[in-house]
Amino acid sequence: MRRLLVALALVLSACSAGGQDGPATITFWDNNGGPGRTPIYEELIKRFEAANPNIKVEYVGIPSSSVQQKYDTAIAGGSTPDVGGVTTSYLAHLVGQDALEPLDERVESGPLKGKLLPGLLETVRQTAMDGKLYAAPASGNLDVIWYRSDLFAEQKIAAPETWDQLIDAAAKLTKPADNKYGFTIRGGAGSIFQLLAEAYSYSGVDKFYDGGKSTVADPRNAELVSKIAGIYKKSTPEADVNNSYTQMVAQFTGGTVAMMHHNLGSTADVMKALGAQKVSAMPLPKGPSGKRTVVPNPTDGFAVFKGSKNPDAAWKFVEFLTSAESNGYWNEKVGQIPANTDVRSAEWIQKNAAVKMALGVLEDPATVLVPAPVYLPEYSSITKTDTEPLYQKVLLGQMSAQEFLDQLAGKLTTAQQEWEKRK
Amino acid sequence: MTQTLTRPATVSPPPPAPPRRKKHRDPSRYFRLHLPLVLYLLFTLIPFYWMLVFAFRPTGETALVPWPITFEHFDTVWNGIGFGLFFQNSLIIGVGTLVVVTVFALMGGYALARFKFRGQRVFLLALLCTQFIPGAMMLIPLFVIFKSAGLLNSLTGLIIADTAFQLPLALILMSGFVRNVPVELEEAAMVDGCSRLRAFFAVTLPQLRPALVAVGSFAFIGAWNNFLFALMFASRQDKFTLPVGLSYALGEFNTDFGALAAGGVVAAVPVVLVFAVVQRFLVQGLSAGAVKG
Repeated sequence: MRRLLVALALVLSACSAGGQDGPATITFWDNNGGPGRTPIYEELIKRFEAANPNIKVEYVGIPSSSVQQKYDTAIAGGSTPDVGGVTTSYLAHLVGQDALEPLDERVESGPLKGKLLPGLLETVRQTAMDGKLYAAPASGNLDVIWYRSDLFAEQKIAAPETWDQLIDAAAKLTKPADNKYGFTIRGGAGSIFQLLAEAYSYSGVDKFYDGGKSTVADPRNAELVSKIAGIYKKSTPEADVNNSYTQMVAQFTGGTVAMMHHNLGSTADVMKALGAQKVSAMPLPKGPSGKRTVVPNPTDGFAVFKGSKNPDAAWKFVEFLTSAESNGYWNEKVGQIPANTDVRSAEWIQKNAAVKMALGVLEDPATVLVPAPVYLPEYSSITKTDTEPLYQKVLLGQMSAQEFLDQLAGKLTTAQQEWEKRK
Repeated sequence: MTQTLTRPATVSPPPPAPPRRKKHRDPSRYFRLHLPLVLYLLFTLIPFYWMLVFAFRPTGETALVPWPITFEHFDTVWNGIGFGLFFQNSLIIGVGTLVVVTVFALMGGYALARFKFRGQRVFLLALLCTQFIPGAMMLIPLFVIFKSAGLLNSLTGLIIADTAFQLPLALILMSGFVRNVPVELEEAAMVDGCSRLRAFFAVTLPQLRPALVAVGSFAFIGAWNNFLFALMFASRQDKFTLPVGLSYALGEFNTDFGALAAGGVVAAVPVVLVFAVVQRFLVQGLSAGAVKG
């Protein structure tokens, strides 16, 4: 029996013994692996390896829906990659587990110094309690209204600049008998982030916290929420109350709705299904204040993990990925805002109307950024588990917009105060 | 045995054939039986129809019948996502788990059914209790154990993890099946000179064929569908499995429904084939276990 066990153990260890990695092999986890992005990274890795023959990069694509769990397990088990793709929506969580290297010195002492969009650097820094830079930003995203320019032209409607114009246009473009609707509301998973972006773009409130208290429940924000809830079922499909982004994008690309609030991330889908002739992007409309207030989308970037045995090689790879050439190549392919400012003059940006528009919004001195407190450990549970069902109640007319925002603001204020105490 | 002896020696005339059913059946039968069955069938098949429509329809089309059909989504999943390798990994893990689970369940199930030992009830209870623990809860402890055993990033490790989670239920099922085979048969064989092992192989094992199929197919499908372990215990692209590949179609900002559906077809075909081949045994096996298990 003992001999059998020894033999079994030998067989198992023989099966599982991975070859000893050379000192210059680094692993890179793509936080949104899939057929759209994997080939872009494969190309970039090929270029990197050609330029750095002593470093080999092992690519692992992680499905975005499970990436947080994968990172958590890897951190707990002490098997982190050398470089990982991260977004600011969960960066605080990784920093909180002491898993990442601060990158400030490396950025300041290398070719990236002064080359990264200050707005994006700021959103990354804000996620950490100590204000350090735990990821090199690679691309920014912006909430936009995708609209069917062909239908607007047909009906001779101008692209709306204010929320009231948008609501009017939505009513005009709605023909329930033909299953055509003017707008689609994200009422299900992920609804609150979009709703906050809408509310602040309308209200012009330019701070998320005022004297430690959340401004979410500002009556002007509530006004917008009531307006949106008011068009539910009138200018939108009834099923919207359960919409996550997948359903919205499917409705828009399937031709059922004429306008959709999402972000630049859906560029590829929208363009593939409808083409540049039929669809355009515009920034979120303004409200009566006339101010452009933007709740920035999570920023994508690359982090170096503390567990890395080759932190220098890992940083070299991050530096390569965020260099003007690679950053431009990557963002051109996915249609997002490049973090490297040298890419701004690239030819493709002039041709990509949506990215050009987004860059214009972010670089406009009149634009005020109102970053959401994604650094709060409870932010995700407050805005998802606690509040998404309440927004559905608002849509269904079972709760007032003000009451809903009061509850949300109360939780965000408490969480912020606790965070300040721990700081 | 005694029944045979007490049977009358004379051959009695065959019993009268049951009266033939009238040709015009009771019409309410359609409402009671066929209508619910048809509705249930539709309910089951519509998701499959939907999957096929998305898999074979070009992106952006809305037709309910995918014509002309396209294979672009299959090209995306097979060549773009790399389903070929994932399929192979899933197959190795599925078959590996099937073999290990079936062999161990057979041995353990036999022991549970045929022998009495101290702590048997506690053991059975413990087996049942393991079913209450979700895989996600065991993730980090298992990860640490696998790491120290050098089993991360290996298909062997995944087979072991899947086996550990499939085995308790398989054992319980199998002991029910074994109990269903009359012990007298084995005893008769042993009276005729067989050892216990020989009696088991010659008499009991052939009776357990439906049980093997039922337990084996459950193990295979459980391992085939396992997403969590495959993603967490492997951190190399060439060790991922089909469910991980499928979730690649669900991106952060976009969902490729065509690829998702085509991937679903690829992932479902082996399972459907397995069921088509074994369903005869499966129904028999499950009902046999249900009576006494």
